[in-house]
Amino acid sequence: MSQQRADGQHRCGAAVDGSSLVERFRAGVVAAASNYHQLADWPAVADHAVAHGDAVAIAPSLAAFEPALIGLLEQAGARVVVPDGADPAAAVAEVPVAIVRGELAIAETGSVLVAEHTLGDRVVTMLCRRLIQVVAAEQLVSRLEDAASWLEDRGGQPGFASLMTGPSRTADIERSLTIGVQGPDHVDVVVLSSIGAHTPIGGPSS
Amino acid sequence: MSVRPFDERYAAALADSDVRAGLTAFQRGWRDNRDQAIASLEQQEGRSFDELRAELAAIKDGVIADWSTYLDRFEANATAAGAEVTRVSTPGEANAHITSLIQAAGASLVVKGKSMVSEEIGLNEHLEANGITPVETDLGEWILQLAHEAPSHLVMPAIHKRKERIAALFERVLDREFPPDDIDRMVKAARTELRDRFLSSGVGLSGANALVAEGGSVMLVCNEGNNRMSVALPPVHVVTAGIEKLVPTYADAMKQVRLLGRSATAQPITVYTNFVTGPRPGQRQHIVLIDNGRTAMAEDPDVAAALRCIRCGACANVCPPYGVVGGHAFGHVYTGAIGLVNTAFHHGMEAAAGPQSLCVSCGACAEVCPVDIPLPVQILEVRRKAVESDTSVPAGRATGLAIEVFRHRKLFGAGMRVAGVLSAPWRRDTVTSFPSVLTSRGSLRTATSWRTPPAIPPRPARDTLKPGRLEEPPRLAEQPLAGRRVQLFLQCLSDRLAPDIPVATAKLLRAAGADVRVPHDQHCCGLPAYDAGEHHVARDLVRQTMDTLSDVDDVVTPASSCLAMLGHDAPHLLRSDVDEVERAQELAGRTYDLVGYLTKGPGRLPAGSLDDGDRTPVTVHRFCQASNTLERDDAIERLLTDVAGAPVVPLPEAAECCGFGGSTSVRHPEVAAGILDRKLGCVDETGSSILITDNPGCILHLRGGAHASGRQIRVVHLAEYLAGRVAGAAERASRR
Repeated sequence: MSQQRADGQHRCGAAVDGSSLVERFRAGVVAAASNYHQLADWPAVADHAVAHGDAVAIAPSLAAFEPALIGLLEQAGARVVVPDGADPAAAVAEVPVAIVRGELAIAETGSVLVAEHTLGDRVVTMLCRRLIQVVAAEQLVSRLEDAASWLEDRGGQPGFASLMTGPSRTADIERSLTIGVQGPDHVDVVVLSSIGAHTPIGGPSS
Repeated sequence: MSVRPFDERYAAALADSDVRAGLTAFQRGWRDNRDQAIASLEQQEGRSFDELRAELAAIKDGVIADWSTYLDRFEANATAAGAEVTRVSTPGEANAHITSLIQAAGASLVVKGKSMVSEEIGLNEHLEANGITPVETDLGEWILQLAHEAPSHLVMPAIHKRKERIAALFERVLDREFPPDDIDRMVKAARTELRDRFLSSGVGLSGANALVAEGGSVMLVCNEGNNRMSVALPPVHVVTAGIEKLVPTYADAMKQVRLLGRSATAQPITVYTNFVTGPRPGQRQHIVLIDNGRTAMAEDPDVAAALRCIRCGACANVCPPYGVVGGHAFGHVYTGAIGLVNTAFHHGMEAAAGPQSLCVSCGACAEVCPVDIPLPVQILEVRRKAVESDTSVPAGRATGLAIEVFRHRKLFGAGMRVAGVLSAPWRRDTVTSFPSVLTSRGSLRTATSWRTPPAIPPRPARDTLKPGRLEEPPRLAEQPLAGRRVQLFLQCLSDRLAPDIPVATAKLLRAAGADVRVPHDQHCCGLPAYDAGEHHVARDLVRQTMDTLSDVDDVVTPASSCLAMLGHDAPHLLRSDVDEVERAQELAGRTYDLVGYLTKGPGRLPAGSLDDGDRTPVTVHRFCQASNTLERDDAIERLLTDVAGAPVVPLPEAAECCGFGGSTSVRHPEVAAGILDRKLGCVDETGSSILITDNPGCILHLRGGAHASGRQIRVVHLAEYLAGRVAGAAERASRR
């Protein structure tokens, strides 16, 4: 058995296990059948989204966090939907691509922790066929315990925090793995070189 | 869905050939994947599976030890987050409360995430009776709802159904074409059919994988995304959870996550792991916490540890009889080994009694359980309670009578001698081959068509081994046992039915220099009575064995099942008397099975010392209890390769039970036959014609199966194989 031991305290990109956090995270993402992308900034995210559909939904919490994204997407030629009205599900029903922001990226499992408290935030991760999950490089953490600390820090405030690891799938018929059941069937995990200096790790998004 | 009587479920499972074919393939694939997933977890964590599961077990035990504190903490935190928490005792209370919540919301349609506790309380039936339509949204559960069936597995509810059946079902219900090979189309149908339901449903129902006390959060895992949609979208969310689902902290929940996914589906983590804390804006959330026998389980030390269960289904995935009949027969609402334990508390002893004798006591479930529940011991305790509570089926009483005769050594011995005389005309080598006119119909056909009965030799081993009767065997060049007094514990079965095994053991030990003694009063370690739930008989037999085996250096038995009984089960059986436990432990401390004696005990043989030059390939069946209970690894294979110089071809599924274990082969021969067939199929794959193992029961069973199926496989005990090489090896050594 290996004596290497992942250290739960690592919250930066330092090397653990002889490979960097980002390398371990990427391996987990790929193993979970998501697509891994490293992009420079939000304009690059907008271009990536528009390449996959002419309409793009963005989570209301992301629209509040990064207001410029709406304009970037529109400039790139997309119809932008922010489902914060009376019927969020209907608003995104025919929208092929959605963008959400992750709170943490967990190297151990290749998971992105997404906080989705409002109905508007929830419908984008559940109803659109392609989901783009954006995290900043400095949001990479090592272990599931780091996600536990994030939850703990919220002190029981109402919320819906989801560790998402790959596109939805089933093996319920003869154990045959089929990607895409109720949730998205394509997931792009985007690691931004920097999401902006004002990003508080573990900060509220909802 | 109400559960049919066990006999009906059992007959239906046997009649459905899809069940066994599908489950055998599933079990093999799962085991390989799960073992890889656990190995990589061990490497990642730098800790063994046993350490990791002990940690999670301690967390769950700690909750039960201080249950009301954690329940109160969870309730306070969930309430602070906006949930309404209700505690109920019975399924009736739970169903009535949930129905009233749905009615208050004015909903007639509810969507459901997969929830075993809702199956436990019969929620769907209750809702339908009240005019509410529950829609299952997990693909497997939805298939079963359309087919009006119950889940047969905790995690993969429709694992018993082949794609052809599902395609036909979809064609009938959805009225369009579904080619059986187009699984993708069937999966996508669930998306299109269910999408509107999520959005139009007034209430979403879910279970809980964990309840996190520190934050008042409900943890829910799923792969399809249906579960999170059921709880997140409708304006009312109702959680139903057993009160054992509590964990103290989020960090504890993560430890569960690490073991749950890997133990359920060999995934490091499921696609979605959701922590739901209170309702979303505009939503109401109700959390219904149900007891339904859980407090009673906690108060019963025989089964309390079963409350650790995280419903991963691993115990079913390694269970040989489950692989033959599936979960509709092996279990009740809860399936697999855990179902044989907790059913008694959630659904009553009568519901638990039926499947009890399907368990072969192989111990595989305990090996893979991620919370280290001692399932084999617990199953035997529930079986005892079933026997004592008189809900047992009539066959149980017949077994009791047989055990009553068997417990008297002289009566049993006399009976076997008479049987030996009567069956002598049909004795063929190691089997009794009755004429086909006798075995072509009726119960004798059921009993013998798949397994030819063993020969009953004229003389038991104890007679052959009387002082002076056996000629001195040749001695090995090196004799590690010179000067040691060894008492041979014959094992009741081989003494009467396979005397060549203990006789070969005596020859081998003498060749290695031992002074071998065979106490004449010895009889049985108590295992058959223990397996049958007759614990008072088992205790008497253990005591008698302890009286007999005293006053020597070492006790050696050719049967590792006896060692498992004396070492592991006897102290448990005698636990009410400290002195007797000590006595049992003292005996166990100097008792070895032959393999242990030759590899880890005083009888370690030098490399090549039993090499007679024969290079015929052999293969090895690892006796399941030796692997699972005595934690034996590849000791037999190493002995054969290193000491005897024999080429060993690895046997697929080497440590899986052969079907002889427990009383299954007597009470449910169809199941034992199915397991035996799988084992012999694995032997076929090796191409070897010599099958070596070390438990006499397995050997009689495998010999009978090989004979009945016309296979040319020689099944021999390790002692017979090694003793057969002593003369050749001694001669080879003298020529050097």
